[in-house]
Amino acid sequence: MNDLLLMCMVAGRRAAIPAIRVQSVIEIEDITPIPGAPAFIRGLTALRSQALTVIDCSVALGFETAQAPPDQRAAVVEIDGHLYALLVDAAYDVGEALSDPIEVPGGFGAGWQAATRGMVETDGGPTLLIDVEALVSGPVSQAA
Amino acid sequence: MDDLLADFVAETREMLEASSGEIVAWEADPSDTARLDTIFRFVHTVKGNCGFFDFPQLEKLSHAAEDALSECRSGRREPDRALVSAVLAIIDRIGVMTDSIEAGEECSADGDDDLIAALQPGEITSVVGEPKAAAPQQAEPADGEDDAAPKAARSNGVQRSIRLPTELLDEVMKGVSDMVLARNDLARRLREAGEQPTIDGPFDRLSAILADVRNAITRMRMQRLEHLFGSLPRLVRDLSNELGKQVMVDFEGGEVELDREMVEMVRDPLTHIIRNAIDHGLEGPGERIKADKREIGLLKFAARQSGNRITLTISDDGRGINIERLAAKAVAAGIYSQAEVDAMSQRRKHYLIFEPGLSTADEVSSVSGRGVGMDVVRANIERVGGSIDVASKPGEGTSFYLKLPLTLSIIAALTVGSDGQRYAIPRSYVEEIVFGSSDHIDFAEAGDRRLITFRGKRVPCLSLTEILGTQADDAMDWEASTLVLVRLASDDIFALAVDRVYDHEDVVVKPIAPAIMDTGLYAGTTLLDDGRPMMLLDLPSIAQKHELVNEMRSATRVPEEETAEQRKAQPIMLFTGLDGRRRAVRLELVRRIDTIAREAIDIEGSRVQAVIDGAIYPLAGLEHGELTADRCRLLRLSDGDSEIVYAVREVLDAAELEGEVIPSDADAMIEGVALIDERPVPVIDGHALFARHSGGQRKAPPLSCRLPADSDWARTILEPLVEAAGYRIAGDGDEESDVAIELAEAPAVAAGPARRVIRLRHEPDAPGDGADSIYRYDREALLNALKQARMGETA
Repeated sequence: MNDLLLMCMVAGRRAAIPAIRVQSVIEIEDITPIPGAPAFIRGLTALRSQALTVIDCSVALGFETAQAPPDQRAAVVEIDGHLYALLVDAAYDVGEALSDPIEVPGGFGAGWQAATRGMVETDGGPTLLIDVEALVSGPVSQAA
Repeated sequence: MDDLLADFVAETREMLEASSGEIVAWEADPSDTARLDTIFRFVHTVKGNCGFFDFPQLEKLSHAAEDALSECRSGRREPDRALVSAVLAIIDRIGVMTDSIEAGEECSADGDDDLIAALQPGEITSVVGEPKAAAPQQAEPADGEDDAAPKAARSNGVQRSIRLPTELLDEVMKGVSDMVLARNDLARRLREAGEQPTIDGPFDRLSAILADVRNAITRMRMQRLEHLFGSLPRLVRDLSNELGKQVMVDFEGGEVELDREMVEMVRDPLTHIIRNAIDHGLEGPGERIKADKREIGLLKFAARQSGNRITLTISDDGRGINIERLAAKAVAAGIYSQAEVDAMSQRRKHYLIFEPGLSTADEVSSVSGRGVGMDVVRANIERVGGSIDVASKPGEGTSFYLKLPLTLSIIAALTVGSDGQRYAIPRSYVEEIVFGSSDHIDFAEAGDRRLITFRGKRVPCLSLTEILGTQADDAMDWEASTLVLVRLASDDIFALAVDRVYDHEDVVVKPIAPAIMDTGLYAGTTLLDDGRPMMLLDLPSIAQKHELVNEMRSATRVPEEETAEQRKAQPIMLFTGLDGRRRAVRLELVRRIDTIAREAIDIEGSRVQAVIDGAIYPLAGLEHGELTADRCRLLRLSDGDSEIVYAVREVLDAAELEGEVIPSDADAMIEGVALIDERPVPVIDGHALFARHSGGQRKAPPLSCRLPADSDWARTILEPLVEAAGYRIAGDGDEESDVAIELAEAPAVAAGPARRVIRLRHEPDAPGDGADSIYRYDREALLNALKQARMGETA
């Protein structure tokens, strides 16, 4: 399995988003907050004439929000016709997956377990493969 | 052209294009049976389609080609070059004929027989396939030498159509929306950078082009209502047969266009209304004859466009709505009490038909009366941003009026601010806007519920900050807020307190992610001019969440009824002028209320102007007193063409002008004095106001001024001055200019006719008495002359 992955840092851990799902990586300047929306939704931002829902990946995984990430980068993905910007701590290069995603005995921790499809080997070491659909539906604690 | 025929032409042409490659391949290898099959299918389809239309020539040709090809397919004949050429010639000929059919021309049959003869095996020996194929082309007179030219020539004046996937259209639309946003951004930057004539001109042009393109793109999504109307006669026929009635349908306004999606959205409600009309509205033939009506009932559909809304009227000439029975049903169903029903106006009673759970049908037929009622129709229409109304006369018929927005995605919205952010509210819900500081508003608390008293009604009040959870209610400064009175489809009213109201805007609404939808606060999102997103509030859902939908029902109903009956009275707006006295202005004149900083008002002598959002408006109302506060409240009045602003101290309230306005001669600016709440209030004379103040308006067409044509001085020095004085420079195309400026030294060449002439001389000292000319650098005198010319014109 030689899928291309977008390597990024989420909640201080190495993570990867399938590159085929990523339309672009953008730098987010303005976020319009949406009062009343769940915490993992940071707000809306505009990419050209389209509104993107900005998802704070850390919060969506059940962690505390990263205090204003230094690098407001986000991966743009489309799910069911809606565009989302997945806000990550940092976004790196596109790399190759060197293995199929595998489960590890004991899991990766509750948040990670719910929103990832397993661990893949990459050049940079073991990396968790993010399940974007699960991620945008919010943290487990809220879903449950 | 007939729709079927257009389809036929489009299909034939599509097949021609698709098979052209096959034809060439077949020519290269006549024994290739796969190609042969394709071409056979083509001529076969053309022949088949011809059967529906009366095209004997086309049918004869395709039939002959089909025969020859089928012999080849069955192996009775070997395809050879001559046959290939002959078939190709026929296919070309079909293409030419298709063009003629589309253009509605006759196509000469000359040479058709030769073409058919060429298909015969006997012709094999002669190598005449090619020349013969070419022959009919040449035989056509004046059609040009080659193949392409006649085709192109013919298609002129005929509406060509192509089929496009809707995704592509959406893509283009998105692109144009992006361009508009980029343009807005650029416009803002240009404004900040100040005036730059070299850039502003082309930029304006760009804006105009973009607006046109945007319009055209929007039209692409439009569909004529004919498409919807087209399916109705059949529906009416089936229903009337089933119910044993005779119904005639009449359509009007099929050319009105509506967004494709909107057409689909109204299909079901429309069907339901038709069912109701045929089932309940129209009488059976016997009853109709007894009532002295025509035996056949009439169902009429009329569509009309006004602005960005479509009105669709469905009327029948049946028995009308039996309001007594409707009211009795409403009481029986426990929706209203007898007393409430008795207090209702006729109109309000008719409106009961939209209440859930009511059906006037005593018996349930197979067609209607099964519980899915007009309430669902109303809900569906309102869901797409439309409204529905009904009017009925006993014995004469019923009409339903559907008002629909042109497109699903563009809605009229009010933008409001809360906690530093903007939100949009669909304008259809907005009943009225009042300031929290107004004397007419009382805040009260009943338990945890905050209420406002407005015109004698107690209305629940919510603050937007609390709804959105951005700020606790206790911290709210109610007096400083602006209250938007919201009337829901269920007729429930509540007040929404916001920090401020910005503007009316048409916004393009886009869907939002499910996780945001789940909050129940928002219905969609839209982009502001600067490209930032803005959320559209979902008021019905918010009201539901705060349980406002039922609790105020009985409390609001009766007073509401009164306002409905007073509609005929003229609405006016009460305010206090700068001198503190109460005055009134007719509400139709008031476009909006602005609050601007004192610095934005420019007073110089008798010329008083205010700058609002980059536009200059004449300012009136100062004759009553001085502007004192740092911020001035202004009424923006409009007569439809131009706008002026009127300075006031405070806006009091909207009221009904019931009695007469007693004319007053004392003040020309006063239409008269009216009694409002038993106090005399002067009503401002809109006519006199606009007559006095809108003369120098920028929107008034500028007078034209003709300058000496071949003078550099006039062009570089005079022209800016004249333009600054509010004149338009007359071009060669202008027949007669209002003013002409001539140079005294130049021989009096009549540059063009003009109503007034100003002559300029070179020397400061006039040679004669100097009365007929002005020194060309005497700016004041020149401007005076121009001003006088204008006064003369406008007086």
